[in-house]
Amino acid sequence: MNTLYRKRALLLLLGPGGAFLLFFFLSPLVFVLAESFRDGAGGVTLMRYGEVLQNRQFRLVFVRTLKMALIVTPLAVLFGYPAAYLMTKLAPGKKSILMSLVILPLMTSPVARTFAWIVILGKFGIVNHTLQVLHLTQEPVRLMYTEGAIIVGLLQLFMPIMVLTLASALENVQEEVEEAALSLGSSRIGTFFRIILPLSFEGLIMGVTLVFTGCITAYVTPAILGGARVLTLATLMRQEALVLMNWEAATVIAVIMIGTTLILYNGLRLFKPGNMT
Amino acid sequence: MKKSKLLIIITAVMFFFLLGPFVIIIMSSFSGDAIMKFPPRGFSLQWYRKVLNIEMFRTTFWVSLKIGLAATLTALLLGVPIAYANVRYRYAGKSLVELIFSSPAIVPGLVIGFSLLRFFIYVTQIPIIIGLYLGHTAILFPYTVRVVSASLRNFDMGVEEAAVSLGSSPLHAFFAVVFPNIKSGIAAAFILAFITSFNNVPISLFLTGPGVATLPIQMLIYMEYYYDPTISALSSIIIVLTVLVVQGAERLLGISKYM
Repeated sequence: MNTLYRKRALLLLLGPGGAFLLFFFLSPLVFVLAESFRDGAGGVTLMRYGEVLQNRQFRLVFVRTLKMALIVTPLAVLFGYPAAYLMTKLAPGKKSILMSLVILPLMTSPVARTFAWIVILGKFGIVNHTLQVLHLTQEPVRLMYTEGAIIVGLLQLFMPIMVLTLASALENVQEEVEEAALSLGSSRIGTFFRIILPLSFEGLIMGVTLVFTGCITAYVTPAILGGARVLTLATLMRQEALVLMNWEAATVIAVIMIGTTLILYNGLRLFKPGNMT
Repeated sequence: MKKSKLLIIITAVMFFFLLGPFVIIIMSSFSGDAIMKFPPRGFSLQWYRKVLNIEMFRTTFWVSLKIGLAATLTALLLGVPIAYANVRYRYAGKSLVELIFSSPAIVPGLVIGFSLLRFFIYVTQIPIIIGLYLGHTAILFPYTVRVVSASLRNFDMGVEEAAVSLGSSPLHAFFAVVFPNIKSGIAAAFILAFITSFNNVPISLFLTGPGVATLPIQMLIYMEYYYDPTISALSSIIIVLTVLVVQGAERLLGISKYM
């Protein structure tokens, strides 16, 4: 096939979709990015970033958001790894049933999923009912609109992503290698750290990246379970943009959110199994 | 590390944590109480009746359905050629093209929604519903391109080349030879993309205006004002529909292998 034909074919194939993303995805992003550095008189300024970064509420919310991601991610690994490992060892039939039970929540509306936690953690919810039946408390305890509620909600929201990512990485760990290690006298724990973990490490990094960045940018969970009382970066940004009409602050938060996500995305990839052992 | 007891216990706890809330929400939707209470007293279908009687839920359901269909079809129409180009041809800058078309999945949805709102208000004055459609289409690209590419990789392109060398036009060869072999991949992409659009909150959150909202946004608005099991009933309906669609798609197309 000649090159001219190929060039034209490529242009026809990639052009329309490329143009769409250029106009309706990249341009708006660049526009907002540029906006955050404009000073109104045609010059460039970092003043807006200074204002937001010096704001006490912003710093509190930023640290809180990172803290919650730092709690949720290890918990997702702790529960996701054993589950993913066990699933890869099951017979195909059983495995596909469990697989679809993991995929189902992922495909269900996050609003519907998060609402369940109101039924569980609310004033008249299951947890408070149980506490009162057991006479552990007289008055209902406030569980909603707390950091704990958001952490629980985020963990349930992102668990399927962790399990699926780990399960597909563990698929590639050959059973023979594992058995060889065990028969040569390695303990189970030792086999995990020396064989299974290094061989599925890329999947672990991928899962950690997806869950961590997901926690930082999630909106629905903190909106429902934290409300205006416990703000995160996402709910703060929405509040600045749509309630307080403070476009500048919302823009700066948007850029900080992208920056944090991209740094994590690229930063976590630097971890390679080789660097660990 | 064969199937030890500890492993089974942790896995069971994980599944209980993952799926328990679904059971609870369905139970609470049949409540006879007037407010959210657990355990619910009595049994009634009043909340289901209420969901169907609230006009805003019906209106926004149709908005979600239409936006989802339009955005999914557009993302497929533009995404299939991209997937085809990436699997079929080797060219300079391919990894950059792949990065660009997967980037709507990496950039936080909230930021995409916000930037579209800012951009549209400042630069153009297009109606909000068009903005909603464009925003949804942009975030569906990564799904359609990825799923259709995976399906194309399982197809032997040599068959298409044979058709072309035997005198078939490239376009005809695509529809006669390639398309029938990636039909199930395209169907899987359609379902994944539609569900993604239907459930989306971050994009829709900013592209909502007077009279224009999607169902998830309307649910969030309702929850701010009322504390009753109406949302349980609506959530239960959504959960059951999702189960049916996902199970059906898994049976017929095996969508889990594309995830």
